[in-house]
Amino acid sequence: MLGILIKREILHHLYGLRFQIAAVLIALTFITGTVAFIRSHASKSVEYTRYTKELRDVLREKAETNATQLAIHETGYQLKPRDNGYISDCKEKYLPNRFLYTAFHVLEFSQHRGSVNPFLNHFQELNWSFITAILVSFVVLLFTFDAVSGEKETHTLAIQLSNSVSRSIVLLGKYLSAVWLTFTMTIVGVLLSLLVLVLSQQIHFTGTLLLEIGGYVLLVLLFISSMAGFGLLASVLTQRSNLSLLLAITFWLAFMIVIPNTAIFWANQFFPIEHEDVIASKVETTWQDIAFNARPGTWDRQYQRPFFPHHEWRGQTQTAMWSAIMDVANDWYLDMFHQLENTRKFTLVSPFSLFEYMNEGIVGGGYLRFQNVWKDLHEYQAQFFNFFQELDARDPDSPHWFNPREDLSTTRKPVDFESVPLFQEDPLTLAERLLFMRTYLVVMILYIGLIFCLTFFLFLRYDVR
Amino acid sequence: MVWLIAKREWLSNLVTARFVVGFLMCLFLIPFTLIVNLYDYSNQSRIFRVDSAKAEKELEEVRVYSYLRPEIVQSPEPLSIFCKGINPNVGNKVKIWLGEKPMFAEGNMKVRDNPLLNSFFSIDFIGIITIIMSLLAILFTHDACTREREHGTLKLQLSNDISRAVMLWGKVCGSYLTLMPVILFCFILSTLFILFNPNVSFSIQDWFRAGILFAACFVYLSVFIFIGLLISTRVKSSTTSIVICLFLWVFFVFLVPNLSVYLSESMISIPSRETLDFTIRDLENEFENRREAYVYRELELPLWWNRSSNTGEDGALIISNCAKSFFEWTRQSTAYSVPLRIEYAEKKWTHQKSYLDNLNHQRGLAEKLSLISPSEVFRLTASVVCRTDVDSHRRFMEKTRAYREIFIDFLESKKVTSSFLWFTPIPENKFLTASEFFSYVSEGEIDNVEEWNRRIAAQNGVAAGIWKRSVPEYFHDDYPFLDITDVPRFRMSADSLTDVLPYILVRLAGLILLSIILFYLAFLSFMKYDVR
Repeated sequence: MLGILIKREILHHLYGLRFQIAAVLIALTFITGTVAFIRSHASKSVEYTRYTKELRDVLREKAETNATQLAIHETGYQLKPRDNGYISDCKEKYLPNRFLYTAFHVLEFSQHRGSVNPFLNHFQELNWSFITAILVSFVVLLFTFDAVSGEKETHTLAIQLSNSVSRSIVLLGKYLSAVWLTFTMTIVGVLLSLLVLVLSQQIHFTGTLLLEIGGYVLLVLLFISSMAGFGLLASVLTQRSNLSLLLAITFWLAFMIVIPNTAIFWANQFFPIEHEDVIASKVETTWQDIAFNARPGTWDRQYQRPFFPHHEWRGQTQTAMWSAIMDVANDWYLDMFHQLENTRKFTLVSPFSLFEYMNEGIVGGGYLRFQNVWKDLHEYQAQFFNFFQELDARDPDSPHWFNPREDLSTTRKPVDFESVPLFQEDPLTLAERLLFMRTYLVVMILYIGLIFCLTFFLFLRYDVR
Repeated sequence: MVWLIAKREWLSNLVTARFVVGFLMCLFLIPFTLIVNLYDYSNQSRIFRVDSAKAEKELEEVRVYSYLRPEIVQSPEPLSIFCKGINPNVGNKVKIWLGEKPMFAEGNMKVRDNPLLNSFFSIDFIGIITIIMSLLAILFTHDACTREREHGTLKLQLSNDISRAVMLWGKVCGSYLTLMPVILFCFILSTLFILFNPNVSFSIQDWFRAGILFAACFVYLSVFIFIGLLISTRVKSSTTSIVICLFLWVFFVFLVPNLSVYLSESMISIPSRETLDFTIRDLENEFENRREAYVYRELELPLWWNRSSNTGEDGALIISNCAKSFFEWTRQSTAYSVPLRIEYAEKKWTHQKSYLDNLNHQRGLAEKLSLISPSEVFRLTASVVCRTDVDSHRRFMEKTRAYREIFIDFLESKKVTSSFLWFTPIPENKFLTASEFFSYVSEGEIDNVEEWNRRIAAQNGVAAGIWKRSVPEYFHDDYPFLDITDVPRFRMSADSLTDVLPYILVRLAGLILLSIILFYLAFLSFMKYDVR
């Protein structure tokens, strides 16, 4: 019976105008988005290659000058444009995507200045994730808003239920047909997008990529299921289809516009962090305390005399100073991470937000990627410092007085650039991605179950006359 | 008769759930958006006051001209309460450097200390109006004809002595009557919020601009009213009509804004900012090489260096406690390097301008592509009205560049770049020769450079014991700050409405024309509408 009901519902939708418009719009958007991605990604990759070459040249120059120059140089590591950005860009261009480090410290993260055109409004790239979030979610609501109330208006619901078919089967049939149809449309869109990518030779199928695509498809299924649940809920909450539509659109606007767009306000209200100027003043105070209490003569320099004793005092003072500054900064960074994580928890009520966060896990981007690079960079910095220490230890002309800002009292001999360890971003493992997605996945599944149960409960009491 | 039909439409709409839901949405979202935006504005005003005071203090507390670098702090735009435009993307502070023309404003207008929160977008008053008003317009008009046809009341009405034109007009007026209270409510509420907020004060021109914004809202609403009406006269069922209308709504309001920017970004590729930074760095190295070549090879470096000095960005330098020969050497070197620095600013600007042109080109294409969406036309117009558009920012940056020229002219007219005043507050007649200086500080023990250097080296670079007293009024802190009353100041002038009025009128005329065309098509379609 369920099969027959699903088939009937699907056929009913297939001949409808909403299916035709939705199918064309989804297909066209997927193709346009992919074509735009190919062009954009190609130019970004060229620019990134140029940037890394320039950066290597700068580092090589420092290494050829002397090893300490290289160690104290504030190197900026910029995130590489992701090859799987057509699945989701995870708004990485708006997130901090540049990290500054020396051999002594990982200094800061920021949004690199050229990552967005400041004259353009904030926008979302037309990738699979965005199309699914905006268009597919809307289509699934259009398929479900009148599934019950519409049939009540045309009196077919009463006729249907007068047969020996249970309400649960009828509801499940409507639910599964809407999910299946929308899911199929999305898959066609995905396949068209992949076709464009294959034709443009922009894609190399690897095991990881197939897993990512497979994971994305499963995620879409979950997302569509949740939105179909809301569509059906809107339908069983009212007796008339126009009211159901209004309710469905209200859900859509609340989840897609209101909750994500008000998140910053809630973040500032409920999870405030210290202002930048307060931190700047703390850093200033810390710096001044140590600088002014330094031994007299600490700041005297003699460039030609590495073993000038004052260099050792200054090395100790600068090390203490920068450790204290980094303590203040790292505490602030931790507050930032907590603020974002708490705000994200706050927005979990929206399936759109859940879908967006899980996409980060699927493609290994966004905040997950940021955290991964931040963590790896700290490990790399320790490794780089050890390398520098060993180099310095081998130099008999070095006093070995480490100073995080100057090249006066540690080795001033050049170093072979090829032997210097350079930071490489490690791709996220499957386990790391799943761990990140775990909470979101559980919430999404619970969400679907809850909405469907509520809809089912209301449908059991629905007046079909 | 038109009035009767309009009144009937209005009354029947007022009791519908869509009106209640629409009104409730506005009742919740508009105050919320206003509170958030007013909060942001208050914070920006606070930051502006702190930054302005700091900039003024820094300007007043300089002792030499080489440190004189005015900083312009732009006040926050009160109308940004309605439409933020590009304000959150650009800074509000411009420091006037000799070595670089202002390219981007620095500072941060965003009230966001955590860059990780950039993954969340925010919405303003105009954003809400764009989404909600267009949706309400569609919801109220999509079934203007189809519903009456489905209920069989359309043919009953037309069997009376009412022309189709009158009936259509009546429906249009009814829709306006229904939606106008909602828009009025939104604007009256925002007016009350602004009037009762002590941190915001609107000038007469600001209120006038707010009035234009209201008119623009009305025009924008008309477009969606006529879209709904046209679809309603083209199809037979309300469901079909709402499906088409909603797809158009999603397309115009959500897809086109993102699609246009994404396409323009992919069609016009811009060399990265880092590439520009590397080019600028190369030019700076070239400048430094030329400066050093002159200063250390062409000029004869005195045997004895300065005792007290501070250096800052952009060639800022203050020296004291040194010999006359060193003052003279510094004067000659700055007389050469300051014009050279200004010359290199021009060289850098060639690359910077090209980068800015590319950004503008990309933005221009995005705007052109977005013109297919009435929502984007409305949003762009609103940002122009609220002075938060790209051109307002561009004009501000042009004014800062013009001010830099005035400031450089001022320095040149005073001939300070080649004088001692550039780097020391000590009057020339007080300069001491090296022998006079050493003799004074060592109380006659040493009277030549060689001996001084030998004694210092013998003490591991420490002057204690040799330096017995300081020369009076020979240290820069002994002198008062510069008198800066004659330094030209940047005058912050708001853009006149007349400058942007043609742009606003053209955009609004476009929307009005679109409305007229849509109405005409709806009229033609309704004339042939099968009412059975």
